[in-house]
Amino acid sequence: MASSPPYTYIQCPCSNEEPAEGSDASSPESDSFHDAERTFDPRAPRSNYSLYPLEYLLYCEECQQIRCPRCVDEEIVTYYCPNCLFEVASSNLRSDGNRCTRNCYQCPICSGPVQVGEVQAEPETNLLSADNATAAPHGPYALFCQYCSWVSSEIGLEFERASGIPSQLAKMKNGGIPRITAKELKERRKEDPDMPPLEDELVDAELQYSALRSFYQSQINGPSNGLPGGLSLGDGHNFSSPAALTRMMSMWQPGGRGAQGKTAGPPDVFPEATDTDKGLKLAQLDESAKVQKLLNGGWNETVSKDQLLGQLEHAHFQDELRPLQCVLRTKRSRRCAVCRHIISKPENKVASTRFKIKLVAKSYIPSISIRPLEPRAPPVPVGMRPQQPQEPPLKPLQPYQYILTFKNPLFEKLKVTLATPNNTPGRFSSKVALLCPQFDIDPVKDMWEDALDGDDRSRTEETGQAEAGKIYKRGRNWVSIILEVIPPLLSVDSLRPHTASGEPTDRSPLREDEKILEIPMFVRMEWEPEAQHDVGDRVGKDRNEGQKRELAYWCVLGVGQISHE
Amino acid sequence: MSRRQVKGDYIETETGNKVSRKANLLGTQNMVLGGKVVIQPEVMIRGDLVRTAPSSSSSGGTTAPSTTAIQTGRYCFFSKGVVLRPPGRRYKGQFSHMPMRIGHHVFIGQDTVVQAATIGDHVRIGKNCVIGEFAIIKECVEVLDGAVVPPNMVIPNYSIVAGQPARVVGEVPEGGGPEENGLRGLYSTVGNNPQNPDM
Repeated sequence: MASSPPYTYIQCPCSNEEPAEGSDASSPESDSFHDAERTFDPRAPRSNYSLYPLEYLLYCEECQQIRCPRCVDEEIVTYYCPNCLFEVASSNLRSDGNRCTRNCYQCPICSGPVQVGEVQAEPETNLLSADNATAAPHGPYALFCQYCSWVSSEIGLEFERASGIPSQLAKMKNGGIPRITAKELKERRKEDPDMPPLEDELVDAELQYSALRSFYQSQINGPSNGLPGGLSLGDGHNFSSPAALTRMMSMWQPGGRGAQGKTAGPPDVFPEATDTDKGLKLAQLDESAKVQKLLNGGWNETVSKDQLLGQLEHAHFQDELRPLQCVLRTKRSRRCAVCRHIISKPENKVASTRFKIKLVAKSYIPSISIRPLEPRAPPVPVGMRPQQPQEPPLKPLQPYQYILTFKNPLFEKLKVTLATPNNTPGRFSSKVALLCPQFDIDPVKDMWEDALDGDDRSRTEETGQAEAGKIYKRGRNWVSIILEVIPPLLSVDSLRPHTASGEPTDRSPLREDEKILEIPMFVRMEWEPEAQHDVGDRVGKDRNEGQKRELAYWCVLGVGQISHE
Repeated sequence: MSRRQVKGDYIETETGNKVSRKANLLGTQNMVLGGKVVIQPEVMIRGDLVRTAPSSSSSGGTTAPSTTAIQTGRYCFFSKGVVLRPPGRRYKGQFSHMPMRIGHHVFIGQDTVVQAATIGDHVRIGKNCVIGEFAIIKECVEVLDGAVVPPNMVIPNYSIVAGQPARVVGEVPEGGGPEENGLRGLYSTVGNNPQNPDM
């Protein structure tokens, strides 16, 4: 979101609302009153969290208020894999987890996508897995990363088939050693009851977890049959149901049924797992092999923090990393947190880019753009466009003029009132003047309507030059006005020893963001929704016909850099 | 007016394409520009890297292979120094290039090298990026400056990607959707009679 000047950020009013005030604070009247009392400081630490570019803001029609990403609730519409773009049903999500179960893997080293390819073939000849079916079947296959040239055979992972990688990978440890799953262990035990427990090295986290799980499950199940209230603790899922919760609550009430039934319930103290079959795994304190490996391989062999974050199990060295299954992504709808109305809802299909509902602030409040009246940067040659001309830093104590252009997105005439503090807040305050703080912007009209109206837009108030109280320029649905700025001298020595309130001035060295000239501006807009043009006001049609609507908010104009020498 | 005076820095076609005379286009017969496309100076488009292997869909094999190497939609903008190069790979034993498809309203920043298979509509790619071979970029995606998209990567709708290798770092907000990414305005600022970009 960060950008170089000029830019405009808009403050979402949600950060001003006191939690106790509730719905009262969200009405525009009280907000404008509330805000009018003090000047918004764009450099205050909290401001970072409430300023957004216009595109990021939504608009709630019920509350008639701007909504930012922080004051909306999200609901998941669709889960899908970002690699194969297949939709995943939410029922599958429970059984398979939030990762794609197709052949979608990421390189554990660089996080790039990996492809299935034949091991013998040259790396450039990797075929996409889809094409492998048509090519003459060979093997073995491996996963290839074409970004960092990692191959899964480096860590001994090779596959017999090109499809169904997840199931093949689940049976294999790094180095190609077959992995013992809990199911296999059970079967082996059935065949040979006297089999000694597995070596600790062979027990991985998954196996240990399933052993622990079954161990504790059997403990809960065992004596719990006589539990009062018909509560079966055996099935862990039952805890989540509200009925089970109330039954449990009644158990713990003094004198309730729980008191008598306590003796029959599960024991208060569970015995701990004491051997491998029950899920005990001793910590490996002998790390000499790892130290030796570190000595040989050095820093490059170890994993980075980013690599580790994607892994399910802890790893020290790069050859312990496993290929990553792609994490699923979601499409989400957004609700207003105050009135619970949906303000944005994408279509369900993964491939669709359309929205069923989309109430964005861009179509309710005017967009504001800034450019210098007399550009000091040379114009960009046609061949280099669209490069932004880089304005040189502003010289202190010299007046600069900027053109602010407001564009009306509504089908109604918009009455705008602006206010800025004469001196911007902060240690080094710039002098600011808006030459025309009050003006009307004509509504959006289609070309046809505009042509019929004729050219009556040439009003007297339009001057084409910087003059106090006059609009600079006016277009079909936009108005430009002039902003005058005098940047301050950025030197700590020039500060007055005491502030107006008598406190000593902060004389710490110049901070980074003090070099950027940011102007807080209060915008208040008023319009009358018309019944016939109601595009965005379906709700307001019946209730608010003929009524004036208003919306007020703070915004921040990032004008430019101030030079300091 | 003599012919010499008419001749500007750009060739403007009937469909409104503006092609800089300093652009380096190879194999123009294999390119399809969708109209109102801007090609800035020093852009290189390798239309000569045409598919040689027969298309898998053509069953007969006697039909001539399709000769479109690069196809773009309307209002695409290729900034100075962009390289568009159809991706290639071994297919059924022989090496062949594959066509590159670019959607409508696609912007590609300065000095970016693109070898993608498909770029969807309303995609914005920053400057100094590398888009790897056979990457598939879906609609409304934003690739930030300097990103390196690995070969074969698929980028879903409304993603913002950045980094080396590129990863999804965010989502394009609802307000930044396909309606307006300024390419119509940008189109008018280049050509033989360019408008001032300010207004």
